[in-house]
Amino acid sequence: MTSQWTIGSAIARNGPAVVRTGRLAQTVRWFRRGVVPWLWGLVFPAVLFPIWLAGSHWGWLPEQILPKPADVWGTLLEMLRSGELKAHTGISLLRVVSGFVMGTAAGLSLGAAMGLSRTTDDYVRPLFTAIAQVPALAWIPLAMLLLGIGETLKIVMIAVAACIPIAMNTRAGIRHVPREFVEVGDTFKFSAWQKLRLVVLPGAIPSIFTGLRYGLTHAWIALVSVELVASSEGLGYLLVWGRQMFWLDTVLVAMIVIGLIGFITDTLLAVIEQHLQRWRIDGA
Amino acid sequence: MSGHLNVQHISKRFTVDGGPIEVLSDVSLSIRPGEFVSIVGPSGCGKSTLLRLLAGLDHGFDGTILHDGKPILGTSLDRGIVFQEPRLFPWANVRQNIGLGLQNAPLSAAQKAETIAAHIGLVGLQGFERAYPHQLSGGMAQRAAIARGLVNRPQILLLDEPFGALDAMTRGKMQVELQRIWAQEKITMVLVTHDVDEAVFLGDRVIVLAPRPGRISHIFEVAAQRPRLRTDEGLVRVRNEILLALEGQGPASASTGRPDRDLLARPAA
Amino acid sequence: MALDATGSEVARPVAICRGLALPLGLLLLWEVSSHSGLFNPQFLPPLEQVATTAWREWASGEMLSDLLISLRRDLSGFAIGTGFGVAVGLLLGLSPVFDRIFTPWFNGLKQIALLAWIPLISIWFGFDEAAKIVFVALAAAIPVILNTLEGIRLTSRKILEVGDVFKFNRRQLIALVYLPSALPSILTGLHLALIYSWLATIGAEYFMAAGQGIGGLVIAGRERFEMDLVLLGIVVLGLVGFVLDRLANWLEYRLIPWGRS
Repeated sequence: MTSQWTIGSAIARNGPAVVRTGRLAQTVRWFRRGVVPWLWGLVFPAVLFPIWLAGSHWGWLPEQILPKPADVWGTLLEMLRSGELKAHTGISLLRVVSGFVMGTAAGLSLGAAMGLSRTTDDYVRPLFTAIAQVPALAWIPLAMLLLGIGETLKIVMIAVAACIPIAMNTRAGIRHVPREFVEVGDTFKFSAWQKLRLVVLPGAIPSIFTGLRYGLTHAWIALVSVELVASSEGLGYLLVWGRQMFWLDTVLVAMIVIGLIGFITDTLLAVIEQHLQRWRIDGA
Repeated sequence: MSGHLNVQHISKRFTVDGGPIEVLSDVSLSIRPGEFVSIVGPSGCGKSTLLRLLAGLDHGFDGTILHDGKPILGTSLDRGIVFQEPRLFPWANVRQNIGLGLQNAPLSAAQKAETIAAHIGLVGLQGFERAYPHQLSGGMAQRAAIARGLVNRPQILLLDEPFGALDAMTRGKMQVELQRIWAQEKITMVLVTHDVDEAVFLGDRVIVLAPRPGRISHIFEVAAQRPRLRTDEGLVRVRNEILLALEGQGPASASTGRPDRDLLARPAA
Repeated sequence: MALDATGSEVARPVAICRGLALPLGLLLLWEVSSHSGLFNPQFLPPLEQVATTAWREWASGEMLSDLLISLRRDLSGFAIGTGFGVAVGLLLGLSPVFDRIFTPWFNGLKQIALLAWIPLISIWFGFDEAAKIVFVALAAAIPVILNTLEGIRLTSRKILEVGDVFKFNRRQLIALVYLPSALPSILTGLHLALIYSWLATIGAEYFMAAGQGIGGLVIAGRERFEMDLVLLGIVVLGLVGFVLDRLANWLEYRLIPWGRS
């Protein structure tokens, strides 16, 4: 039977004694929940845009620092039409994906090895942790000395950046599967393989997934970093070129694309994570 | 006389997935000043909802509730409440938590300190003034919550299954404590519980609610002497009557955990 | 797994020995290879050379001054960023109006990889100290805003009801319920800000060259093809990051005496 704490939202709890369910009421509710947040979200640009327009029109700040909105729009369209944006985005995405895949493979293996084998963990983890203290970004100059400035550098940096959080979270996920569940497996005389397949891995998946999410974020950051220093194509290159030519509009376009891609991938992964959270067994 | 509650034809509905559910339907009740009223019933009978309406925490109901003749429009310092969880602020120690109740009280700092100390003594937590909630046992935390509920010297104290989360032995001790505090403070108390033994041990009257829709099904007077003895014959008799009444509502409504041999052995008087 | 007071695993003697095996082995390998004549000494300097370079840098005071400059940058940006971040986070968390207007935009902006801001900032502020500090402040502000916001959002409804029962007005609710309740989250935000602001300091020094600092040391080493300088710089960067992280952990532990719920 329902108690007041399981019934819907505060609106239900504190609403009128009689709740209208007619079509008009439903439309009003839909409007309030679906449309109004969007209207609120438009307040900020609605106020900012006229100021931007006025400011750029009357030259309150130099053109390079405050370009006209029309120019930015024009650049965006131009870059889309000429396929330039698509090309740069494609190259960046390709690098990220390649690096991420490699980093995931390395991270999962390393993390699993450390998680499953006490011995391996003892030998490897201290060094690994020490290296992890240095942000991936910091390694770039060293990597440039060793690998030059070609494609290898980029893929390797991205892979390394992704590998670290993936390995750490995989290890943590495997090690933190509660003893109690492993013991249940023991009472059913599970073989090592069965334990791994039926208890440890499923239990570790939420952590592994968190690691993948962080790995992707770090991979992105690494991509932008390397492309900032050592590239002649890609979104990071667009940023650098725009900055060198003082074309703020180009820089803005590149930033928006980077933000959009980040948003899409993050949302996607968040949705998948939501599904996985349903069976977290560490009680979190 | 202060501390009089008059509940007149209360109804409350919720909407769940499109359809309305009537949690309380035409409930009327009068609680005398200084009385101890216990409310029992199975899950879903609306007893907690009723208590929250008395506190002024929830709104949107049909009917009127009068506190000393004035309609209840929201919470008030004259109506204290103790929840099932102690709900102590984790970042404050016992003394500060109780002191929080006096934030808006028209007392001087010295008076506040005095009454806080008095209430700590009342619930028997001397020595624990500087302890943080995470350092307290369940029973001690609830005692602190009771002290906080009383620190404003409200006319009415409402208790929503305050001992439900405690183990059986602590619960028994807390019931004795609560009776002592009630006798000492002489204020109106309304207790919601699913434990029939607790209800008869503490109450002057026991209101039995039935679910779907929530309504009063029986009112029992408990005429036993105070301080109460759990083995008192009159007490046991009323208890059995209440259990029968709950049984009559349908399966799985009575809950004391005791076997039903009592019911068969002693016919209702 | 035995745990100590702060929740980290206690090292077993066997584990410590094994843990040292790999690093020591690698150092040995390095030393041998660098003397074998198979590698260009610029790419694989012998350990003694790294040590002498380290000593030289330290003794001349260069290392210390670089370190102090980097730290000053880091902490200035951190202070500005966190101050700003807490204020904004509180505003967004406590005011439904500001929340509805600004939070969606903030959520969008935070998606842009941190380093992607560097070109924009360098166009607006140039390459000097101010620009670097602005960048570090940005890096610090983002996690602080996020965590402060979340801390306020997570305030227990049950505790708020207690405030209602005692007729707390808005000021009392904020000061006595929302703020203390959000404190653990805010501290987490500060901890993250400390990590990210160090990261941003390194990034600023790498990508907005000109000026001294440990990052500058590393860049100089790269340009002169002096591997030992690069290695030295990177080790120092890692060490500082490690120390800052530990410091933040300890502070978090000390500032919340009431235990985490």
